[in-house]
Amino acid sequence: MKTFRACLILSAAIAAACSGADDGDKKDGAFALPTAFPSTYEPLPSESLLITNATIIDGTGEASDADSLLIVDGVLSDIGTDLDADDATVLDVNGRYVTPGIIDIHSHLGNYPSPGVDAHNDGNEVTSPITSEVDAEHGVWPQDPGFDEALQGGVTTLHILPGSANLFGGRGVTLRNAPARTVQGMKFPDAPETLKMACGENPKRVYGNRGGPGSRMGNVAGYRNNWVRAADYKQKIEDGDEPTRDLQLETLAGVLNGDILVHMHCYRADEMAIIIDLAKEFDYTVSTFHHAVEAYKIADLLAENDICSAMWADWYGFKMESYDGILENVPFVHAAGACAMIHSDDDKNIQRLNQEVAKAWANGNRAGLDISRDVAWTWLSTNPAKALGILDQTGTLEEGKRADIVIWSHDPFSVRARPDQVYMDGALMFDRENGLKPVSDFRLGTFATLGEARP
Amino acid sequence: MMRSLVLTAVLSVAATPALAQSLFLDDANFVLDSGETQIVDIRITDGRIADMQADLQVPSGVTTISGAWVSPGLFAPYSTLGIVDIGGESSTNDTQAETELFSAAIRAADSFNPREVHIANARRRGVTHAAVVPQPDGDVIFGGIGMIAKLDNEDDSILSETAFMHVALGEAGASRAGGSRGAAIQQLRSALDDARRSYLQHVEGDVFQRRDARAFRAVLSGDMPLMISASRASDLLRIIRIKEDVPALDIIVVGAEEAHLVADALAENDIKVIVDPLENLPDSFDSLNASLDNILVLEDAGVEYAISGLSSRSVVKAGALAQHAGNAVGQGLPYDAAMRAVTTVPAGWFGIDLGRRAVGEAATMVVWDGDPLEVTSAPTAIFIDGEAVPMVSRMTALRDRYNPANADDRPHKYR
Repeated sequence: MKTFRACLILSAAIAAACSGADDGDKKDGAFALPTAFPSTYEPLPSESLLITNATIIDGTGEASDADSLLIVDGVLSDIGTDLDADDATVLDVNGRYVTPGIIDIHSHLGNYPSPGVDAHNDGNEVTSPITSEVDAEHGVWPQDPGFDEALQGGVTTLHILPGSANLFGGRGVTLRNAPARTVQGMKFPDAPETLKMACGENPKRVYGNRGGPGSRMGNVAGYRNNWVRAADYKQKIEDGDEPTRDLQLETLAGVLNGDILVHMHCYRADEMAIIIDLAKEFDYTVSTFHHAVEAYKIADLLAENDICSAMWADWYGFKMESYDGILENVPFVHAAGACAMIHSDDDKNIQRLNQEVAKAWANGNRAGLDISRDVAWTWLSTNPAKALGILDQTGTLEEGKRADIVIWSHDPFSVRARPDQVYMDGALMFDRENGLKPVSDFRLGTFATLGEARP
Repeated sequence: MMRSLVLTAVLSVAATPALAQSLFLDDANFVLDSGETQIVDIRITDGRIADMQADLQVPSGVTTISGAWVSPGLFAPYSTLGIVDIGGESSTNDTQAETELFSAAIRAADSFNPREVHIANARRRGVTHAAVVPQPDGDVIFGGIGMIAKLDNEDDSILSETAFMHVALGEAGASRAGGSRGAAIQQLRSALDDARRSYLQHVEGDVFQRRDARAFRAVLSGDMPLMISASRASDLLRIIRIKEDVPALDIIVVGAEEAHLVADALAENDIKVIVDPLENLPDSFDSLNASLDNILVLEDAGVEYAISGLSSRSVVKAGALAQHAGNAVGQGLPYDAAMRAVTTVPAGWFGIDLGRRAVGEAATMVVWDGDPLEVTSAPTAIFIDGEAVPMVSRMTALRDRYNPANADDRPHKYR
């Protein structure tokens, strides 16, 4: 019962979660990651719905023969042709494209919200290069108007990360793009915990004159020193030593224990290769390299080590480590057999990730690859879901999954395409045709929302 | 030839030559200067249109492309091309300077490097011309004198060295001027006064030393457009107020996220705007009423506008210009209007002649493999003033070295 004793020092607020950790199949002395701030997300009410006459991209990477989707109790209960409606409402979409909801694995909505005033800088805890004790969810403002615009762009799930100032930036949080009053009301239930780490220029620039790291050498030393501390902390718990709870080391121990997925900001190919060996040294895995502007240079290495890359279509050149960006990064990484995906890192870009994938897809094929539209879609929802550990719940249109669905006005790989309807867990969240759209408190009373009522 | 409208161009020859001086375009979608499109066959010889008719005989021995699109060269009305290699490295960044010696007199042209790699990277995406905009620094709102370049990497690519004056109002200007919008606008009013002044010594102006005041005289007379960064509707009205005092001013507002709230006033006072059709968030208290419909309202009100990628200019440079225009079309702007807003409209503002795309003329034009405003399209050939320009850039060199379709198995540095 070592785990239980370790829990005695926890605050009352998380005691319930902690006792829950004890009744699993963890053996005595095993490290168990405490959880807190549980999700209170509830899907909005929905009716049974049969979508017919659809052109379906299902996210599996294979061309779909289906033209109909049946949604019951917020879940995709059937996908195929000639489905029986039973008592479901029938929605004939007249041949329009129907896709999974888009998943953005790299967003700062809520922790760098609009308006971007000083008081809203909640994305980087720039007080120390090691802040694995902080959690992005404690800085997310659910009233960021960016969430509403991202929904209009078809984004139903998103991963909010701390910024990249620190070597260990803190925990990330996976959110449903739900119009909630609290961040708990947005948290994706039971999504795996994540940790943001950062390579390269940012940590050494921010801390170069503040005690370091001041170089890429210092960055790596900083990772290693703290993995040593974390391994020691974890060992003490496993030995029944009951160390004083240390939030910083607890997160790192959670990574070493396989409970927390590492998402690492890294641009340069050679740096990613160093990180791959670092992870081997301390026996953990990297889920995803973020930005990964040079991933195309080591795509084989990424495939070999089963590490995903989350990339832009054409951002480059704003700092030295982004100078070698090419328009074919995503398709080249995919072509090597590695897990590739798009990401936004931006409140405008997140609204049209379908266009970003369209650019990457077309440029890849122009460079001689032969990538289908169905495969390219996996960069928008399937691979982000995989990298976040939620592919069993969303990311594709397959039976038993959450009914996260976008109905498009045009081919989603056209600049003209707009989501007409967005469903989350089977509930209609956005409807261009009737004006249904969540509105942030912040936008109330502005002329943009007063419409006809404005003076 | 084939009369069906083929949206995606099909090359009958395996690859487009690096310098396609001569081409035959079968059933091309020819985008007129008006932005409207007609379908014609086009024979291009030595970089010029040799023949253009509804139905031409396919010549032999010439690269033939079916269903291509031909547009004017795209004109980026707001860029930093040629004056910054890497934004985050100040040693490479000539966009702004903090100095008490000069402000308005500083010329982007003096910093411009026609071989900077971003120029070819942007050109490869169809941008043939760009306005290069210097930014204010220190405690002044004056960025200095902007220029216009053609993007051909040639030493003579600067077309206008003194094309416009850039100043910042709104939050950006206020923070430079000490903290308030009032202080920023007072700098602009003082500059207009100083431009009228006869200096006996170089330091006697209200905000300008002698050289800056001289540079501003062309603004005062209306010979040089005054480009003002501003967003909030109330700022736009104050700009109109200044123009009432100095009617000769030729004003172009950049940003203008709230222009839709005062569109009629902008039209009445001939204020031009550069807008980004993607701006729809209250990024700051400057743009609480930003809306995707901004450009639609401007079109209805008769405001003259150009389109720019303001939201992504530091990370994509000018390369994604067509996508920004395409999004305006997706929002409901007529196609021809969006096309003009990235070609003839900004070119006209700065007196740049993109040339007549007619038989025998040395024109600037881009041949695309699909609709130029579509995200899946890309140029296959580009002509600037009747000369084919290279379709390669640093980006394509990196692409070719690491292309998984490349069978070369030598170490990458030898490829």
